[in-house]
Amino acid sequence: MTKKYGMVIDLKRCIGCHTCEIACKLENDVPMGMYWNRILTEGGKYMDAPKGEYPNVQRGYLPLACQHCENAPCVKVCPVAATYKSEDGRVLINYERCIGCRYCMAACPYNVRVFNWQEPVRIPDFDYGSADTPKRKRGIVEKCSFCEQRVNKGMQPFCVEVCPARARHFGDLNDPSSEVAQLVRTRKGEQLLEDRGTKPQVYYVR
Amino acid sequence: MFNKRYVNPWTVILAILSLVGLGAWVYQLANGLIATGMRNVVSWGLYITLFMFFVGLSAGGLIVSSSATVFNIKQFKPVAKPAVLLSSTCIIVATLLIFVDLGRPDRFLNLVFHPQFNSPLIWDVIVIGIYLVTSLVYLYSMTREEPNLKNIKVLSAIALPVAILVHSVTAWIFGLQIARPTWHSALMAPLFVASALDSGLALLLLVLIGLNQFTSFKVDKKLISTLGGLLAVFIAVDVYFVFSEILTALYPGEEQLMGYLTLMLSGSLAPFFWGEIILGAVVPFLILVVPKNRLKSSLMLLASGLVVVGVLFKRIWLLFSSLLLPLIGLAPGVTLGAYQMPETFGQAATPGIWATVGSYAPTWVELAIVVGVCAFGALIFTVGTYFFLTPVQTAEALPKQGGAVSAT
Ligand code: SF4
Ligand code: SF4
Repeated sequence: MTKKYGMVIDLKRCIGCHTCEIACKLENDVPMGMYWNRILTEGGKYMDAPKGEYPNVQRGYLPLACQHCENAPCVKVCPVAATYKSEDGRVLINYERCIGCRYCMAACPYNVRVFNWQEPVRIPDFDYGSADTPKRKRGIVEKCSFCEQRVNKGMQPFCVEVCPARARHFGDLNDPSSEVAQLVRTRKGEQLLEDRGTKPQVYYVR
Repeated sequence: MFNKRYVNPWTVILAILSLVGLGAWVYQLANGLIATGMRNVVSWGLYITLFMFFVGLSAGGLIVSSSATVFNIKQFKPVAKPAVLLSSTCIIVATLLIFVDLGRPDRFLNLVFHPQFNSPLIWDVIVIGIYLVTSLVYLYSMTREEPNLKNIKVLSAIALPVAILVHSVTAWIFGLQIARPTWHSALMAPLFVASALDSGLALLLLVLIGLNQFTSFKVDKKLISTLGGLLAVFIAVDVYFVFSEILTALYPGEEQLMGYLTLMLSGSLAPFFWGEIILGAVVPFLILVVPKNRLKSSLMLLASGLVVVGVLFKRIWLLFSSLLLPLIGLAPGVTLGAYQMPETFGQAATPGIWATVGSYAPTWVELAIVVGVCAFGALIFTVGTYFFLTPVQTAEALPKQGGAVSAT
């Protein structure tokens, strides 16, 4: 059976520390002004604000990046096939082909795609990403690639590796004995905006 | 073939404006799309709004003029030439607008070399290509010394469905997106065609009145009045579709959809929504239903102008109603994608890059480019008028010209 890479994020374990957000930025050389991986606060109006009314309050987080949808709207609309579904189920971008029409941004229900509106700005002023991270220039779209440069070499995405609460798991959803498949099965993995029918390959368990 | 006739204050102004637009585009190329007001939440802006608008203007004009030949409506035939010239111009403008919107215009040939046929954008590239060629050939065969009537008939029979298709495909670019609640509707294509009909016809009327005023190309007032009546019908159809669409969205009172509707009905897009309904539909409709009014050039100008502006407003609320609110609107939100390196580090080192709700206002660069593109379109049209509609009249050409025009 072909592979179908996916991720499971354990919302019970996530402590909202933003480690994966920053690690992703470093590993993937993401410029200033954007993130591929964001930690959203569930409920409150502001970051880290609890939901509910005192004393019945609760704090929760929703880490959000590309869902690597099985039925990906962004892949369908890309006029030049710059965004594509790889054999192993990842949604990747050929940065050399993208014409910057931003149709994929309009098509993605999760707002996870970011555009290089300007010449990428970096602080400190050099490419801090891993050496084999694909380079992106001005005028094209980018997003989470499940760390293609690492996964291609058999490693885990960096966010999974760094999570201090071990809330993130990565693996092959098609392999019933994999950790991710088991988690989805036993803990009833949920998908975001399931009603849109995009069939995300990122599951959330609570 | 270049002579003094082409150089007059009007064409000179248009040429200067086009050059200003070109300059602004060069500025945008040098700085990137950061020069526009678009950011990650609202990732499409004025260019795409006007792209929809101009495809509509183009399709509307051609649908009216080609149906004259297809259904053999003799009355309408005299307007066929200016109508086809107008739609060719508008589709060129629309294409330019897509081009200036691209982040990497240098790679636009990828559309030809690596087309991905699932994408409505590719469908649009194909239909617009066919459409442009058809209208140019159509225009050419109509303006030949001795037009071949059979050819014209065949060409108009092709042009009519292609014109309807071109605007439907443009509607599907938006209407097929499950991610965007106010776009995702089966009514999108009919709605687009309806607004194409009224805005396209209204623009055609504006142009006809202008031609009557400023050139030797004359169109009968009675014909303008008939077209005005038709415009009233088109407006009614358009409003009917909008009403049906809004009612369907409103009635269930579903929470998420209501967020988007509130934006339109009483939020930041309300001026455009109600502007379209009242100024763009109700007022011109009331003017046009009275036959007496349709014989007055000034009232026709007013009504047509309002319809064109109204449909422009509709494009605005249509596009932005879906883009402004992310489906997952949790704090801190979406990263906007722009970063200004601060002068000194401190608090300013963390500028606001987050937004849970989108915002957009065109920058002067966008406005200059858009004005330039429109001026360029007007320039093409004007030169086309000199060329095709009012050729330099030699003694023997005179009667023929007169004959063609008065064949109402
Ligand atoms: S989350 Fe968005 S960008 Fe990622 S695959 Fe789905 S539609 Fe595409
Ligand atoms: S912006 Fe790039 S990746 Fe997105 S649809 Fe356009 S060409 Fe494809």
